[in-house]
Amino acid sequence: MIDFEEELSHFKPSLEVEEVEDAIVNSDLTDMADVMMSLIKEGSKSVKSDE
Amino acid sequence: MNKPKDYTDRCRRIANAFYNEGFRLAQIRDLTGAARCLKRSLAFDKYQTDARNLLGLIYYETGEIAEALVQWVVSSNLQQENNRATHYLYEVQGKPGRLEDESIHIHRYNQALLQAQNDNPDLAILQLGRVVEHKPNFVKAHMLLALLYIGQEDYNKAGKSLYKVLQIDKNNPKALWYMSIVKSHTGRADVERRKLKNAFSHHQMEDDDIILPPSYKENTGWQMILQIAAGLALGAAVIFFLVMPAREEQLNDSHNRELAAVLEQVNQKSMEIDGIRSDVANMEAERDAATAELAAIMDENGGVLSQYQQLVHILQAYRADDFQTAVELYTELKPEAVSDEGMQSVIAGIREDMERRGYQVLADLAGQARDAGDTGRALDYYQKSLAIKPDNPQVLYDMAMVYQGRGEEDQANELFGQVILNYPDTEPAAKAKTARGY
Repeated sequence: MIDFEEELSHFKPSLEVEEVEDAIVNSDLTDMADVMMSLIKEGSKSVKSDE
Repeated sequence: MNKPKDYTDRCRRIANAFYNEGFRLAQIRDLTGAARCLKRSLAFDKYQTDARNLLGLIYYETGEIAEALVQWVVSSNLQQENNRATHYLYEVQGKPGRLEDESIHIHRYNQALLQAQNDNPDLAILQLGRVVEHKPNFVKAHMLLALLYIGQEDYNKAGKSLYKVLQIDKNNPKALWYMSIVKSHTGRADVERRKLKNAFSHHQMEDDDIILPPSYKENTGWQMILQIAAGLALGAAVIFFLVMPAREEQLNDSHNRELAAVLEQVNQKSMEIDGIRSDVANMEAERDAATAELAAIMDENGGVLSQYQQLVHILQAYRADDFQTAVELYTELKPEAVSDEGMQSVIAGIREDMERRGYQVLADLAGQARDAGDTGRALDYYQKSLAIKPDNPQVLYDMAMVYQGRGEEDQANELFGQVILNYPDTEPAAKAKTARGY
């Protein structure tokens, strides 16, 4: 059976057209390649500091 | 240690793989699954423009137009040239009032959600009804409406909303779950379970079993009448287009055969008539020939019969010793008309006698007639005498003299000329010369 209240709480407001601009600005475009590159950079920095 | 380039390449390949899966799911309208794959694709490579554009299209299809705009704007910023997203943005933003309408409906949905979460489901249902009326592809609104109906235990209306959701997004997990609950409450689940059981049941069919097609329906009275009328029309059309031409052709063939037979009979009759006409013509010719022959026989003057009679009279005159009569009758005789050989020999004897002494009797008779002043009769006797004996200058001369006496100088001169030329040393020739004045 459905727990009506719980189900209802799962519904989120839809993004309104006026909020598109903010959504674009705040959108996180980080992808796996970015993550890997940052990890590689951090890794190379730590190696240099150890040296 | 791997180079950064290797990582980025791997990420791009993984992103492509997720995009391909998302594209495949979108093609079968599993939009939820497709959106999940496309988001993963973008998580590995934010520059996967196709994945972002397709994700925007899926948002647009499910009524989330603002989410679609976000994806397409980001896409067109990340790849400014040769990007389909610019076309989508133009289509959505280019039509005046379009975005405003969309904004109003999304705002209403958000209000309805707020009302629903604040224990005001009736107002929420009213709002959502207006939303889905204008935005029938707004999946979130349908889902919320279905949930509210389920909460009110109005499972039929909930089922209608869920049915629309599943038409847009076939494998929407929440919609499928809601639908299963709705079906369990409407009895639809039992019906489907029974159908499924029947579909996969294998039992031996009896001879009397009848398989009714799913489309079978009992006919009403009007349907029956319409079907009968359609059947009659179809039958008439079949008769008109199929039976009638064949029958007409058969009749034409029969008539043609009869006509040919009649024409053949007519030709035979014509040939028979031609033969009869030919026979008639031949018979008529034979009749004419026979008639002519008979006429020749019966002719009193030159006919065969009359010649025989003439010959009999001549012989009778001989028997009576009346030579003058015999001579006169002989002049009328036509010996060629008598074909009997026995008679021909008699005629030959008479002719010999006539040539020997008969011509002179005629010349004497001519002289007597001339002396009696009957010049015509005299000329007739002279002609008959010459007929028996043509080379008789005396008769020719006497005849010329008669013509001269009648004043017919031409005939007279001609006869004088014959005497002078043909019998020059005779006495008549000398006389003729005198008469001519030589």
